[in-house]
Amino acid sequence: MAISFTLNGTAKSVDVSPDMPLLWVLRDTLNMTGTKFGCGMALCGACTVHINGEAARSCITAISSVAGKKVTTIEGLSADGSHPVQQAWMEEDVPQCGYCQSGQIMSAVALLSKKPSPTDTDIDDAMSGNICRCGTYQRIRKAIHRAASMQAVKAKSAAS
Amino acid sequence: MKIWCGKSEMGQGVRTSLPMIVAEEFCCDWRCVQVVQADLDAKYSNQLTGGSLSVRTSYDNLRKAGAAAREMLLSAAAAQWNVSRSECRAENSFIIHAPTQRKLAYEQLLAAASALTPPADPTLKNPSDFTLIGKPTRRTDSFAKVTGAANFGLDTRVPGMLFASVERSPVYGGTPRRFNADEVKSAPHVRAVIEVKSAHLTHQFGETSGPGSRNYSCAGVAVVADSTWAATQARKLLKVEWNEPPSAFESTSSLREKMLRLASEPGTVMRNDGDFEKAHAAAARKIEAVYEVPFLAHATMEPVNCTAHVRGDSCELWAPTQIPGAAADSVASALGIPRERVKVHVTFIGGGFGRRLIQDYAVEAALISRDAGAPVQVVWSREDDIRHDFYRPAACHVLQAGLDAQGQLVSWRHCGSSPSIETFYNGTGISPRAAAQVDSLDFPALFIPNFCLEFSVAESGMPLGYWRSVDASGNQFVLSSFFDEAAHAASRDPLEFLLAAFGPSRKMDLGNQQSLDVGRRRGVIGLAAEKSGWHKPLSAGRGRGIAAAFGWGSYVAQVAEVTCDSKNGTIRVGRVVCAIDCGTAVNPLSVKAQMEGAINFGLAQALKSEITVSGGRVEQSNFNDYEVLRMSDAPPVIEVHIVPSAEPPGGCGEPGVPPAAPALANAIFAVTGKRLRRLPMRAADLRST
Repeated sequence: MAISFTLNGTAKSVDVSPDMPLLWVLRDTLNMTGTKFGCGMALCGACTVHINGEAARSCITAISSVAGKKVTTIEGLSADGSHPVQQAWMEEDVPQCGYCQSGQIMSAVALLSKKPSPTDTDIDDAMSGNICRCGTYQRIRKAIHRAASMQAVKAKSAAS
Repeated sequence: MKIWCGKSEMGQGVRTSLPMIVAEEFCCDWRCVQVVQADLDAKYSNQLTGGSLSVRTSYDNLRKAGAAAREMLLSAAAAQWNVSRSECRAENSFIIHAPTQRKLAYEQLLAAASALTPPADPTLKNPSDFTLIGKPTRRTDSFAKVTGAANFGLDTRVPGMLFASVERSPVYGGTPRRFNADEVKSAPHVRAVIEVKSAHLTHQFGETSGPGSRNYSCAGVAVVADSTWAATQARKLLKVEWNEPPSAFESTSSLREKMLRLASEPGTVMRNDGDFEKAHAAAARKIEAVYEVPFLAHATMEPVNCTAHVRGDSCELWAPTQIPGAAADSVASALGIPRERVKVHVTFIGGGFGRRLIQDYAVEAALISRDAGAPVQVVWSREDDIRHDFYRPAACHVLQAGLDAQGQLVSWRHCGSSPSIETFYNGTGISPRAAAQVDSLDFPALFIPNFCLEFSVAESGMPLGYWRSVDASGNQFVLSSFFDEAAHAASRDPLEFLLAAFGPSRKMDLGNQQSLDVGRRRGVIGLAAEKSGWHKPLSAGRGRGIAAAFGWGSYVAQVAEVTCDSKNGTIRVGRVVCAIDCGTAVNPLSVKAQMEGAINFGLAQALKSEITVSGGRVEQSNFNDYEVLRMSDAPPVIEVHIVPSAEPPGGCGEPGVPPAAPALANAIFAVTGKRLRRLPMRAADLRST
């Protein structure tokens, strides 16, 4: 039976087993490979996407539970890498191998939507589910603070 | 402007630093450079990416390549203007005729220049004229990596491809005796169930595999299906009976006992200076200790994978590999096809750390594609990755040291024992010295008059491999920790004790055209100490430790600052200050990133990671029981200071790893008085020791 949801603003319908995780629907059925497989058990965060604006691990999210919901992946964050978090990531030269960074960025965007000016403790709490083996943690912290200021400036100029 | 990168990008930044070297000499506009990953091709020479070798072994050749191209454009422009070439100069993608201020863009000269013969010995720039080398330069691959566009091995998509998940022998060397192929084949979306035979793997670093080599891919049963999910679901239905090898009885506790016994007995003498026995007998103060490190998995974030398409006597691979040449060799040998019929596309690599030097996964994908008759992507689960790695060997070290009445180190004996990577790859016929996992030049060798280093191979059935910084990853923890023990036994400040042992700055001739630069060693130690504020007191519950590592053409020292609570058992690394002298730092931004990453990688082994074995089987399976460093564990501050230098470039991928664990162990001792001699160091160890 087809399952319908919204993916990065576009209506999608897939005819797959209802227990198939969203991760594999994205990667193998829809060929959207920006969302990464890391552990399959929600232990590493590489597969993080947003479901109705909340960060979720797509590797343990059955596609049936996504029916009628809005899914955003790294590809949906911006068409051109212009999202403040992506910009901050590039300015701080965060990625090394880069494999975990889709998930890191999606977790960071979700954090900033809840806490526009996070403390280091907020960052540790929100980001400790996302593993980076290259060890870019210090730069991720800096990039989140930078994105927070960029978003604050943006909000201020929009308000004035 | 396209520059092809002949090395694999696995995070270390070669798709930025290598093209920078070419662009510097080519005098082109860096903003117009597009970097393209090279496929396997003999014209790129050795494409092995490992050993912290890429920049240091490519530097001269890439400068020459850029300079040759620049000279060809200069010649073409001079001919077109009918002027002397010496009146022309190259700048920012233009050739300029200085007397007349005429300009020609590089692209206007391409046709004429490409008809010329490249000069064999082009004039290189004077390093004082460099505008790009030495300038902090952001990565060329960030955009792809923050937008999800970067294609890693797992992102390979080929028309008609199938996906495979493989149940491998739980004990390395086992083979399937029988399995329920028919039942699994009838599961939804399953196309094939295939027995995958173990295949010998050809050279890693060019060495030959003699008798007793155990360098082969793991045998198993592959489930091939329409999607990764269908393959992994159907694999759960597999019931395989295995023929198990003798190593099915191996356990971590039996191996630890064996290594301790071997390290307590005389071993192969690797170095013997002076007379240890005599000097030690006469020493005023003696210390001894036993150190241990466990097996470690690489746990790259991108699980092991490869996509292969076998058609008749040819094979196309899309591989996240550190040695595309070895992938081609191994696959050609396993399929029995000519090597030139194997085409290798090198993808982005989601973390290498040495795991992707071993081409088992490429061979496996090729065999499965052949039998499935379709392009196949073999996807390793995280459990497969943790349980079927080629592990950093576990080791045990017994050390003794003696101090004279003045607190000078006069005697040092180090007996190590571990399974041998070299025996694993090259066979049991190699000499005991070649099999050893210790380095006879590692400090404090050469700096203590009566010094003895011995090693004994402990046999093990475990598959072994190269793990970022290889032997030094564990050995430096042992050496720098025990040296710190000696400093405390002498009631000396560890920094002063270390510098005193080195003595004055000088170059020591080691023969065989090797030399040792004491000045550069002292330089990084002094810089790390100074920047850390070594002599400034810390608040209660905080302590500092120092450690250094020299190798890969570079010099690294680190000071770790830690907060410990012995009562409750907590260890929190607050700050790590790192100094590196890597000669010419081609891209200082990348050097800093490598040091930061290496420190976090080293702290993961210091505090978190351990592979244990029972019944020949690895007991860990995923990030719940094979722990690595997380954001909340990572030091809030890592400072990296680069020593300005015009020396040839040194390696940066590995030398930052070894000092991290001992710097932390020494800091823990400084604050708690407790010496943790076994990795990983658990906070609970602070309570129990």
